[in-house]
Amino acid sequence: MAVQLGYTKVYRDPLGYPAWEQAGLPAARMPAGLCNDTSVAQHSCLPSGWALIWTFLGIFSGGMALNLTPCVYPLIPITISYFGGHSGESRGRLAGHGLCYLLGLAVTNSALGVAAALTGGLMGALLQNPWVLGGVALVLVLFATSLWGLWEIRLPGGLTQVAAKSYAGYFGSLFMGLTLGVVAAPCIGPFVLGLLTWVASQGSAWLGFFTFFTLSLGLGLPLFVLAIFSGSLDKLPRSGEWLLWVRKLMGWVLMGMAAYFLRPLLPEAGWVALMAAGALAAGIHLAVLDRTPAGFRAFGMLKGLTWLGALTAALLLVGFFALRGPGVAWQPYSEQLLLQAREQKKPVIIDFYATWCTPCRELEDITFHNSQVVQQAAREFVTIKVDLTRKGDSQSEALVRQYQVKGVPTVVFLDRDGKELKDLRLVDYLPPEQFLSRMAAVWGGGKN
Amino acid sequence: MGIKQALFLSLAALVLAGGALWWQHRPMPPPKEATYEEVTAEAQAGGYCLITTEELGRLYLKETPGLLLVDTRQEWEYRSGHLRGAVNFPMEPTWWGRWRAEGPLTQLLGADKDRLIVFY
Repeated sequence: MAVQLGYTKVYRDPLGYPAWEQAGLPAARMPAGLCNDTSVAQHSCLPSGWALIWTFLGIFSGGMALNLTPCVYPLIPITISYFGGHSGESRGRLAGHGLCYLLGLAVTNSALGVAAALTGGLMGALLQNPWVLGGVALVLVLFATSLWGLWEIRLPGGLTQVAAKSYAGYFGSLFMGLTLGVVAAPCIGPFVLGLLTWVASQGSAWLGFFTFFTLSLGLGLPLFVLAIFSGSLDKLPRSGEWLLWVRKLMGWVLMGMAAYFLRPLLPEAGWVALMAAGALAAGIHLAVLDRTPAGFRAFGMLKGLTWLGALTAALLLVGFFALRGPGVAWQPYSEQLLLQAREQKKPVIIDFYATWCTPCRELEDITFHNSQVVQQAAREFVTIKVDLTRKGDSQSEALVRQYQVKGVPTVVFLDRDGKELKDLRLVDYLPPEQFLSRMAAVWGGGKN
Repeated sequence: MGIKQALFLSLAALVLAGGALWWQHRPMPPPKEATYEEVTAEAQAGGYCLITTEELGRLYLKETPGLLLVDTRQEWEYRSGHLRGAVNFPMEPTWWGRWRAEGPLTQLLGADKDRLIVFY
């Protein structure tokens, strides 16, 4: 390839490193120091100037992208019902109200975000607390059943009254936005966990506020447009009953979201079964039982495709789970195992985990099931897992103190002499390639 | 949806899912060592020359000026051992990987088009 770029003296050594090493020529290893590992202290310095502007533009578009998550669905009918009643207003005034609404949403979101970020690890723990997860999932299911038409979402009477009284002033719209921000914020939480950590690491409340404010502006922009045009929605030609079908579909997407939140609470097999059953139920509800009269020709086809998609998804979920390759062979912790490892001069990986923690699950499902990771681990390492799901086990509590584990996941690497390599310690999900590079740092660095 | 249509679509879903699963778990031929002829032919097609370990070692120990060693393997492979002084430039052997690598590679190799570059 370098040839195409115009270089004249391009050579290739087809035998590469193994032959070089055998010939006893000078070689080098990259020991434990992860000098160019981007995952370490990536955001340690604050961007400035143009970089800052680009960062904020990025955050803004990130906010717009958050509209792809179903978290905003519940806000759509509420927004329409609130602004729809005021079709008499001029476009300009509606825009003003929409703007106030948007500002209100953004202020609430940002305040919640900053509070969450600056209370430190609390937010992460909160988003992984079984009760919180269960609660969010329950709310999502409620909204889903509403979208299926089982009940109607209505704003609490008191709220509408307060808003109606002051509607003439833009304060009403602002107030609505402020209140409704509470609906979306917890649901968006898991998607902006990285941003929360970034703000926490910066430690500045103002920077954090502007970060989340920018994010929420992006998030609210489509709602703003909706607010302006919801007045004219009445004038649109009735598009037929198939819109009800779209509502049902949105309900099922919300159900999927709820299942996503429940994932850490269920055993892997149970979760897969739930998702597959959900996909099947969605297909049956939307394509087989549904009697919505077709408003246009392609509607029948759309239903057919839905059935095809739902069934394929269910089969794939079950199939991939059943055929998944072997994972890393973990052993429960014992002193004897560590002694053995030291005698055999084998490095050790200790994984502290809990069943309810999402990054732990990701580590296990993706990284520790990667065939190269599994191979390397079996050949070079002694692999140990410590379950911290339940408190009160004396052995694991002693280990937590000994290794100063601050939370889950924590992956500890011990070198050939049983000493911990502290700079390699892992406290978050890491994709397989980067995990391999850490493993290489352990057994490569220990050899010399 | 009629019975016939439903049956047909269900079958299609089975085929789709089965196909995807097979693709994911399709039997891979074991990576065989390329023969010398194959390597030479590839080099000719690519317009570059081959160099033996001894020859490279001689150049290396002579401290040939401008010699640039580029390690194209994965980062973790590079970490666990590489030619001393080589730079790591992981490149996927796909057209997409090559296309993506073009800009950074030019930067890495520098402006001197006549310098001696050895990939491995």
